[in-house]
Amino acid sequence: MASRLALRPLLRAAKPQFQATQVHRCFTSTTRRAESPSQSTNHERTTHFGFETVAEAEKEARVAGVFSNVAASYDTMNDFMSLGIHRLWKDHFVRSINPGSSSTIPSSGWTMLDIAGGTGDIAFRLLDHCTDINNSPQSTITISDINPSMLAEGKKRSLQTSYANSPRINWLVANAEHLDTVESNSVDLYTVAFGIRNFTNKEKALREAYRVLKPGGVFACLEFSGVTNPLFDAVYKRWSFGAIPLIGQLVAGDRASYQYLVESIEKFPKQEEFRDMIKDAGFVVPGKGWEDLTGGIAAIHKGIKPVEKA
Amino acid sequence: MVARTLLSRIRPLAARARLFSRTYHSYDHPPPPGPFSSTESSILSASLPHIPSHGFTLTSLSLGAKDAGYIDASTNLFPQGPFALVRYHLMTQRLGLAEKTDSLETAEGAKPMGTGAKVKKLTWERLMGNKEVVHRWQEALALMAQPSNVPTSLKELAALSDEIWFLSGDTSVDTSWYTKRASLSTIYAATELFMTTDKSPDYADTREFLDRRFRDVQIVGGAMGSVGQWVGFTASAGLNVLRSKGVRI
Ligand SMILES: C[S@@+](CC[C@H](N)C(=O)[O-])C[C@H]1O[C@@H](n2cnc3c(N)ncnc32)[C@H](O)[C@@H]1O
Repeated sequence: MASRLALRPLLRAAKPQFQATQVHRCFTSTTRRAESPSQSTNHERTTHFGFETVAEAEKEARVAGVFSNVAASYDTMNDFMSLGIHRLWKDHFVRSINPGSSSTIPSSGWTMLDIAGGTGDIAFRLLDHCTDINNSPQSTITISDINPSMLAEGKKRSLQTSYANSPRINWLVANAEHLDTVESNSVDLYTVAFGIRNFTNKEKALREAYRVLKPGGVFACLEFSGVTNPLFDAVYKRWSFGAIPLIGQLVAGDRASYQYLVESIEKFPKQEEFRDMIKDAGFVVPGKGWEDLTGGIAAIHKGIKPVEKA
Repeated sequence: MVARTLLSRIRPLAARARLFSRTYHSYDHPPPPGPFSSTESSILSASLPHIPSHGFTLTSLSLGAKDAGYIDASTNLFPQGPFALVRYHLMTQRLGLAEKTDSLETAEGAKPMGTGAKVKKLTWERLMGNKEVVHRWQEALALMAQPSNVPTSLKELAALSDEIWFLSGDTSVDTSWYTKRASLSTIYAATELFMTTDKSPDYADTREFLDRRFRDVQIVGGAMGSVGQWVGFTASAGLNVLRSKGVRI
């Protein structure tokens, strides 16, 4: 009771403050974006920014803003959003891919690309699995993110791991929709974890994934998804829409950014739909195409780039 | 009644399976049989020749992937891992039986084979389908016994029994339909396990074991279709089959 009373002023304060940060960030993150989204003109292409509809160019800038704001306290927030289990999902994700596995000894090594790799969370796990499980220290990874400050955070973290300044890691600032510096047919494994829902043009990113993968290479995506049980869905929505932005405010001091994260999860295509997008990009999918985690709060989607028949 | 509905559901399936296996051998690039896509089938069929030396393992799957023009990472196409190899082996062997029905024809003028003799003959043919991989078969059994794979394994075993009875020309629609299939499943599973330890030339001991099993149950040609026995069988068949496959339950 006492705590609820204590929270009330915060809740009331949250709304106006949300708008204030919004405008503030628009000004700071890019000077071009002084106008508010509602004024975007008709001939500009629009996309979703959470539940708001905004111009595509603006979304890119805004997403970058969100993640700049969030980078440092990112893990804490991931814990809240995944009910504390995103680390287990990530472990499972990596185990299911079995990177570095090989029919030859020694392993020839996988060339991996972790897109939206931000903090390096997935990349370090992939390298660990290659080394410890599949005895493949030859495997290498490029960690790529659109946001230099997320990559900087990752670099900082890498210093705490056995991969400090390792030649096995490359860092690449790039938009997943234009991986121009990555050669075609050069990658064994393309991963994207909790990233693709932020992309402005997901189809384009999938086509780029297809291009850079070797024939037979694997696209693997871990993402928040559609909770399959309606009751659980209602409960989780209540939690994510109600509690998470508020906690975001308390922990990270940025409610708007977390509002965006929660809404973008809700907007992201559901399992079947995303599976079909993967197929449309040219991939063949294993089994039904995805695996639900924790009742569908998250899901793993995979696709394999088929080998052209000669 | 139930038997009839089930029968009408299974028969078309078996008929379709036969159709598949026929086209399978008449074209270079067969339509993918059963649950596997053509990409999966191309990797799996390329993996089969590696089983004798590398077993029912991820290594065989990886080597097959390479032979089919794929890479190590492509084994992500098989979420169940090496069990896909087991399943593919079981399926192709089962569908291949339709090709062996020639051996059921007798010379002109001679007495045609009875249904029972045909069942025996086809069961033997199927067992011989494991010859190349029999020293690796314990691995396959261990995979089949994993809880998540048990339903598929049992279904495949049932499909094999059904295929054998069907190809042998069994047309009965009474309650013996179940008994026959359950009994054959049990006999087959037991003999298959026996075969993994058989060192006799040409598997003579396995042959004898199989004959004894058929004699025990007296299903061939005879009518042991009592309902009581049937209930007993179905209740314990799954369990027995699993136990005979080395599951400790
Ligand atoms: C929620 S974080 C995920 C970080 C990490 N993969 C993990 O699982 O912990 C999302 C990341 O996507 C990045 N991102 C957003 N849009 C992108 C784009 N178009 N191209 C590449 N990265 C993008 C953000 O900068 C951010 O680092």
